[in-house]
Amino acid sequence: MLWYKTWLETRSRFLLSLLNIVALCSFNVYHGNEGAMPYTKIEYYYIVLHGGHTMLCMLWVLAVTLLAMGGLLREKAVGTAPFTLALPVSRARLVAVRISMVLGQAMVLVIVPWIAMFLIGTWNGKTHSLQQAFFHMVLLAGGGVALLGTALLVSSLVEGEYTAPLVTFGVLIGISVVLSSSSSLHVYSPIEFIRGTEFLDRHTRLLTGPIPWLRIAANILVGGLLLTLSAKSVQARDF
Amino acid sequence: MIRAVVETNGLGKSYGRVHAVRNLNLTVAPGRITAFLGLNGAGKSTTIRMLLGMIRPTEGYGTVLGKRIDDLRASLDLRRHVAYVSEDKRLYGYMTVEQLIRFTSSFYPDWRPDVVKMLLNQYGLPPDRKVRSLSKGMRTKLALLLALARRPELLILDEPSEGLDPVGIEDLLQSLVTQCAEGTAVFFSSHQIAEVERVADQVCILHQGRLVMDASLDDLRFSYRQIDMVFPSLPAELQSQLQVEGVESIRTSGHQMSVLASRNADAIMERARDLNAGSIEAAPVGLREIFLQKVKEN
Repeated sequence: MLWYKTWLETRSRFLLSLLNIVALCSFNVYHGNEGAMPYTKIEYYYIVLHGGHTMLCMLWVLAVTLLAMGGLLREKAVGTAPFTLALPVSRARLVAVRISMVLGQAMVLVIVPWIAMFLIGTWNGKTHSLQQAFFHMVLLAGGGVALLGTALLVSSLVEGEYTAPLVTFGVLIGISVVLSSSSSLHVYSPIEFIRGTEFLDRHTRLLTGPIPWLRIAANILVGGLLLTLSAKSVQARDF
Repeated sequence: MIRAVVETNGLGKSYGRVHAVRNLNLTVAPGRITAFLGLNGAGKSTTIRMLLGMIRPTEGYGTVLGKRIDDLRASLDLRRHVAYVSEDKRLYGYMTVEQLIRFTSSFYPDWRPDVVKMLLNQYGLPPDRKVRSLSKGMRTKLALLLALARRPELLILDEPSEGLDPVGIEDLLQSLVTQCAEGTAVFFSSHQIAEVERVADQVCILHQGRLVMDASLDDLRFSYRQIDMVFPSLPAELQSQLQVEGVESIRTSGHQMSVLASRNADAIMERARDLNAGSIEAAPVGLREIFLQKVKEN
């Protein structure tokens, strides 16, 4: 039943995020050809595969920030923490269920918008590359785990009903700005990584080279570490 | 020997230099209703939260149903046998009453659907209404329902009557007595001295984080006396001459002197007679006077 509770707690935020992301990305793809310059060879792919993906990345970060809002610290702020903590359930299990739910929802927010963009493009009579779509999705899903870990860690450190998502968003933007503004640190920017900036061929607007599995694994590792810290922080705290 | 359901030994909690609870030696006996009285900020809620593993003690230790409160595994186990109603009775606003009942019931094998049905009717709780749209009184009733629908060994309530109307308070007090009769130990904190006097068997008074009194209500009624005396004159040394064992406080007004005695009333009256008191009257004392005296004294 903890899954049921976590689902009820997050479903509005999740469904609203999903609806908005699918609608905005689909709209972008539907009108994609209008944005393509007539004198360039960059046509639909630019909008569908990269423009759409960039929009998806931005909305995904925002959605994940909102989804990470919750947990025992927020319950403390709204006053339900004593009820939850009096249940015969360990804090570790409470945190694990929450992390799993948010992780699952975050992955759905990668896959479903992409499927929608793909279907809209196909319906529009445009060709696609499944390999390119998969490349983009893997970057966002794998690289995004570190961002998700950051959001969940902040939400387990910062008290207040709405303070955590504001701080999380600030932290994520701050990290991106600092890393993106330095030429040597640019490659470590999680936002640039999930967008696939360094793998992008500027002429064709396609991602080139092999999928960077090692860096994706490193991102997942960092994300896992942040999630573990988040769980430890909740376990050690007084409520 | 009967095992205490709650036992603490030198239990304490500090936040930096602030001591919320200090050197608490508390015992809650099984099969009794124990009231936990104290002013706001006395440390009642902190103590209760320590007992339930929500707050870690900074000193001392405690057990609930024989299980260490600072041991994570033991704390998890004890919560299966303890029902708790928190101070502000906040529940998940995004669930309906029915969803919350179903959710809570899934954690307890001793859940009693017949009691849920009876209390839903008695409290007039609408099953399909979202919890967030309930009034504070209704929310309090729902929190009580979730606690009473089980067969816990220990029922802990933090200010349970807050937000209830007089009928609700009456139902609550009746429920506590019924639970106790069914074998559940009840431990509740309250500001409402009248409620405590009506149902409690044992009274613990906490003040500024310290336990200043732990006595059975019957003993208090039997031994505490207010002794009013009138003297021809009240010289300054009279008060010290009346400091017999059992004298808790002395108040003077004109030629009249009032002594609050926790025991030994006969000896105090005897001494007053020796000191030429003209009129001496002893009367039983209510819990209110005792509470106020303990709080002022400390």
